[in-house]
Amino acid sequence: MSRTLLFFVTAFLAIGAHAQDAPKDRVLTGDAKCTRCHDENDSFPVLEIGKTKHGTRADSRTPSCTSCHGESAGHMGWKREAGGTRPKPEVSFSKTSKVPMEARTQTCLACHQGSSRIDWQMSAHARQDVTCSSCHQVHAARDPVRDKLAQSDTCFACHKEQRVQVNRPVHHPIPEGKMSCSSCHNVHGGNPKQLVRDSTNETCYTCHMEKRGPFVHNHAPVQEDCGICHQPHGTTIASLLKSRSPFLCQECHSDTTHRSQAGALPGGRTTSTGALGSVGRGCLNCHTNIHGSNSKENSGTAGRFRR
Amino acid sequence: MRKPVFKLTALSAVLAGAHGFAQAQAEDAEVAALTAPESSVSVGLGYWSKDRPRLGTYDGMREQGAYGLLDAWINTRDERTGTWFTLDARNLGLETRELRADWLRQGNMGLSFEYSRTPRDEPYTVLTGVQGIGTTTQRVPSPSATALNELHLGTVREAMGAGFTKILGGGYDVRFSFKSEDKTGDRLWGRGGAAEFAAEPINSSTRQIEAVLAYASKAFQVQGGYYGSWYTNHNSLVDTALTTGASPFFLSLPLDNQAHQVFANAGFSLSEHTRATFKVAYTRATQDEVIPTGPVAVFAGAPAGLDGRIDTMLLQAGLTSRTSATFSWLANLRYYDVDDNTPQVRIVQTGPTCGTCVDNTPLSFRTITGKLEGTYRMIHGVSLLGGLEHSMQERNVPVGNFNASGVDLQRYVPFRADLDETTFRLEARRSLAETLNGRIALSHSRRDGSDYTLTNDPRGDQINPIHIADRDRNKVKLMLDWTPLQPLTLTFNLEHAKDEYGTSSARPYGLTEGSAALYSIDAAYAISETWQLSAWYTRDHTEANQLGQRNADGGAAEAVKDAHLEDIGDTFGLGLRGKPMPKLKLGVDVLYSRNVNKYPETLTLTGAGTPYPAGSVGPLPNITNKLTRLNLMAIYALEKSAELRFDYIHERWQTDDWSWMFADGTPFTYGSTTDGTQVVQAPKQSANFIGARYIYRFR
Repeated sequence: MSRTLLFFVTAFLAIGAHAQDAPKDRVLTGDAKCTRCHDENDSFPVLEIGKTKHGTRADSRTPSCTSCHGESAGHMGWKREAGGTRPKPEVSFSKTSKVPMEARTQTCLACHQGSSRIDWQMSAHARQDVTCSSCHQVHAARDPVRDKLAQSDTCFACHKEQRVQVNRPVHHPIPEGKMSCSSCHNVHGGNPKQLVRDSTNETCYTCHMEKRGPFVHNHAPVQEDCGICHQPHGTTIASLLKSRSPFLCQECHSDTTHRSQAGALPGGRTTSTGALGSVGRGCLNCHTNIHGSNSKENSGTAGRFRR
Repeated sequence: MRKPVFKLTALSAVLAGAHGFAQAQAEDAEVAALTAPESSVSVGLGYWSKDRPRLGTYDGMREQGAYGLLDAWINTRDERTGTWFTLDARNLGLETRELRADWLRQGNMGLSFEYSRTPRDEPYTVLTGVQGIGTTTQRVPSPSATALNELHLGTVREAMGAGFTKILGGGYDVRFSFKSEDKTGDRLWGRGGAAEFAAEPINSSTRQIEAVLAYASKAFQVQGGYYGSWYTNHNSLVDTALTTGASPFFLSLPLDNQAHQVFANAGFSLSEHTRATFKVAYTRATQDEVIPTGPVAVFAGAPAGLDGRIDTMLLQAGLTSRTSATFSWLANLRYYDVDDNTPQVRIVQTGPTCGTCVDNTPLSFRTITGKLEGTYRMIHGVSLLGGLEHSMQERNVPVGNFNASGVDLQRYVPFRADLDETTFRLEARRSLAETLNGRIALSHSRRDGSDYTLTNDPRGDQINPIHIADRDRNKVKLMLDWTPLQPLTLTFNLEHAKDEYGTSSARPYGLTEGSAALYSIDAAYAISETWQLSAWYTRDHTEANQLGQRNADGGAAEAVKDAHLEDIGDTFGLGLRGKPMPKLKLGVDVLYSRNVNKYPETLTLTGAGTPYPAGSVGPLPNITNKLTRLNLMAIYALEKSAELRFDYIHERWQTDDWSWMFADGTPFTYGSTTDGTQVVQAPKQSANFIGARYIYRFR
């Protein structure tokens, strides 16, 4: 009896030990053929994908390694004796990948073409050969580009001008992590400047809705494009203005009287409008409702954003 | 020597099997640890050594003192059902606190809740005797106040949001989101009727709702829905006057407005290599609140409410195709029509007939943009891209009050009814080698338009307004990405743009030319497996030449002004990350930024008088802003699941901005006999921060 029992225990454990030798899936369904070589100690660590939405096996839509990288028979079947180096997977996403950009992107779009990515192929990024993996780290537990605080580092890898602008003294709270580039930009979309809404103004109104009007007294460039006067990424001038008063206002206004004043600082206290265009709020010292006014006062000055 | 021979006896088999089983279990646990979502909680304390009015504008740590540092990232997943719960809580010990909670049954449905608080502290200190700041009744001292109160203006946005998503099956899903935000506080303003101080009282709310129904299959994706937004201002009019009761000015505030949008967006992959997209959106924005007036004279014919309505229509269609392995093209057509249907009404008329009268000025504009682009991929990794874009804009502001010559008496800036712009683009990209990639892009655009509609001021008609002026724009961009050694990557960027604005003898003023240049180098170097260094430097330089005329005023002669405005920025960044010991991570970040703004303006006097009005000093001096920030960070692992993190920040900001100064550098003071308000800023700000956190990680 004891011999029989010992036999079965031995056989069970031996089978167990043998079964362990056969590679098994670790994270994704069908990943065994990859994870038998690639793990976290590999130069291409892969297991962290298990911490992501892609690694949620309970969701039947989640992929396997080969869904994105292809069956890669050449990569799998390579023998050292054959010489040379192991071919890369059919679809690889590294910076030096020889796989065409469209093919790399199509791998992701096979599942993610909907929603805000419907217009991806029309987008400025697509036309510049930016691929999904240029910005996204698919295997990372927390993709930095999807984190509000870290996102801009990814964008600044290409957008150098914006990197210096957000470090200017007047900026939107991007370095502080209260906003991110994607607060205003749909980087997958086909809108002008890849904005989240259909125009610059419609995008700005999502936070600055008081500027939408329409006002009793409209200021035409305000209605047309906030970007005529403002540089949203950062400047050295209050209110993110592109230029300082009176020069900014004089890009359009060349009228008579005080409106034509040269840039100068008053020597002391004054109420002369001809001396106040550069100091304080500049022209806005008096034209205080510059985005538009709702005054019905029966006075000519009401139409000049002073009430 | 005889080699030992391993015999699979029953006992050795048992031992081997047991060992394998244990090993498998350990391996499974290790894999689980590497693949299970991770959470962390961080608790700590920080201290800023001094006030940081400029650099603490948005981070909730403006004042000297201690701050609680509390963050949490809770991220769990039920492996059986694929249900996630995520809680991302940041800055809980600060005024900038925010929190987002997500519950998601992956592949089925999700719910989210969000809270965020965003303070903006005005970097200036206001010293004022104006009474009633924070209310809608403000009184300016007359005579000037001598005892001034210290004010720190600022606003706070407090937002809450919720979201819902549901996958309906068959390729359909729905998404719903709601966001509500309240904004309160005060900001720098003016009394309008005179250059005297006032603070705009802000107490408003916005609401946004979006509902989307989407369908996606392999070849066809479509989504459509509704987006509504509402703005409510709890204040509508500010009553200002001198403390004597004289000079009452009633200042209007933005009124309630709302917009409703219906939209649809579709994409259809006609074949593996050809895709068509289409987008349509219609928005109706209205502002129909009764206009508050206060006890001021109102024109009898002025309406009670504006009945404002702007209808916006977007139509966009695109087609892109890769017709061969080497050639792809794109065509896109966009129609964007902003139609201001606000009725034109008279607001101001001081006499029985139109002497000084003002109508509202609804602006409508319709832009049609067509784009064609082709990319040819040649041998040796070279791609050539050529593009053509043409936009046509029709613009309209109805003439409200014209004289016998047809000139609109209330127009201040010349106007163009048509504006066209054509852009040609040429680009070459080449993978020069495995380790070298380059790109050069050239573009040229030309903007022109119809004849100008004149204003009632011959001087005003002599300008080319910047946004509608004739303009030639040339741009060049160069980029080189080079990996000279395995651990070293260098990126070079060079960008230059030049604008030339059309001028004529009849219309000589405004911007005549402008340029923008950017030179940047980035380097990343892996010193070893455990140390990485990165550094970058960027110089940006913009220039604008602006010509204008100056009227004789305050003793100053009539003159022609020629300003050569310049902004020069030098920004340097450095980052070092390392792991000198298995338990210790170190990080160093340095940021240095220096910006110089120049305002030289030459005056050529064309009449009798002085160069500047009596008491004024020009031209304006340069302004230099400097920022230096050093961040040191150390993380020490107490155990596998616990860390201590220490931070040290040194930051220094310096400016000689004269915005709130008189010519001699003393603080600008409002009014000559009234008010007396001063707005000041510390020209040098330097502060140090130390922080310590305990971070606990768990699954």
